[in-house]
Amino acid sequence: MLNNNLIDKKRTRTYVRRHRVILVSALLLIFSLHLALTDNRGAERGIVVKEFISIAISPIQNAIIGTYGAITEVFGNYIILINLKSDNDSLNETVIQLKAENNKLKEEVGLNSRLKEVLEYKEAEPFETVTASILAFNMDRWTRTVTIDKGVDDGIEKDMAVITPLGIVGKVIETGPHSSMVLLSTDLRSNIEAIVQRTRVKGVIEGNGKDGLRLKYVLQLDDVLLGDQIVTSGFSGLFPKGLILGEVVKVEKGKDNFFKEIEVLPRVDFSRLEEVLLVKSSAIAIEAAQ
Amino acid sequence: MKDFIIFIPITVLYLVLKSTIFISIPIPDLPLIIVLFIAYNRASIEGAVLGFVIGYLEDAFTGGVFGSTSFALMVIFIVVYLLSKRVTFSTPFIRALAAGLLTVLKGLLIYTVLHLTHFDAPLLGSILIAAVVTGAFTPAIILLLTRISGTVDPQTLKR
Repeated sequence: MLNNNLIDKKRTRTYVRRHRVILVSALLLIFSLHLALTDNRGAERGIVVKEFISIAISPIQNAIIGTYGAITEVFGNYIILINLKSDNDSLNETVIQLKAENNKLKEEVGLNSRLKEVLEYKEAEPFETVTASILAFNMDRWTRTVTIDKGVDDGIEKDMAVITPLGIVGKVIETGPHSSMVLLSTDLRSNIEAIVQRTRVKGVIEGNGKDGLRLKYVLQLDDVLLGDQIVTSGFSGLFPKGLILGEVVKVEKGKDNFFKEIEVLPRVDFSRLEEVLLVKSSAIAIEAAQ
Repeated sequence: MKDFIIFIPITVLYLVLKSTIFISIPIPDLPLIIVLFIAYNRASIEGAVLGFVIGYLEDAFTGGVFGSTSFALMVIFIVVYLLSKRVTFSTPFIRALAAGLLTVLKGLLIYTVLHLTHFDAPLLGSILIAAVVTGAFTPAIILLLTRISGTVDPQTLKR
């Protein structure tokens, strides 16, 4: 009996040893699946990794994205110049330097004009906002997020609304000390309560995981036409009321014969985003109370 | 431990460049290639944990559904590990083909996870573009990884 037990234990040990890679991989696989299936339950995940990204990686992203634009401009000009004036190196060098300076000035003028626009909007709107710059774009297959250069130290909180003078960008989903991650309205996980500006029909705007939006839960009988503007309803308390989300570009009868299938083109061009405004939640509460 | 020292910084650098410079340019799926490389070349518990960590890092960087990429990479690790007993990933063609097919598998696995988590994800054609790009670059990248890995730990490398 004792011998049998020992043999069994030995067999089990040998089996585990022989298949240890598969067993550990399978355990990690199950753990990953568990993480994924419980991701939307509000539990905070990967805090250490996020802190690391916010403290160590964000400054690198900031430096890369800042210098990349300047380098590509200068390099582009340099290629043009060597093709045109290959016989005059010294002159080329001067021109390149001047071009680089000119580009830098142009960038500053562009930045000034964009910031002026943001500032004018900021002053015109009744709610209090914080301005932030984009550090990184994460346009993976079904994911649409951006990293901004403001974090908890700058008063940024989770679920803050992110907007531009053109309309809604998304909301903050993760905050680090010096940077935060913003879920764009085009991400699959994004849903924003909205209304059709013309008819006041209510619905929910969801991201399609690419670069578009879908207006969901609009009844077949409801009046929605091509070209209608979709704005935030302000019901959730996250987004200020009346901010533009996009324009209706497709209206079809839904497969369930109950709801319409409506495609919405976002007003904001996410690929050109550089600066955004973060709305303080207390400001929305004050606006709602008024 | 050496694998962690080599491949984690490479993955972080890749994710930083992908989110800043190569935003809209299709680039090879380096995390997948690293997992393929480890699974057929030196499958171990350390390799499995590294595959999980790489997937976790990718999810943290992109702000995607936590666990979706690590799940896909763990499936890929197991598939390659089991296949490596029958197939030798020694020629550039086999490596390219395997990487291309595994990119499609990775896309399908993440798509399935998103559906299981009740997100109405569209099946994207861009998976195929990613598969072609990853497949095309894989032989060269594996050669590079072998060199880098060999300089740090030449003895444990198989041909």
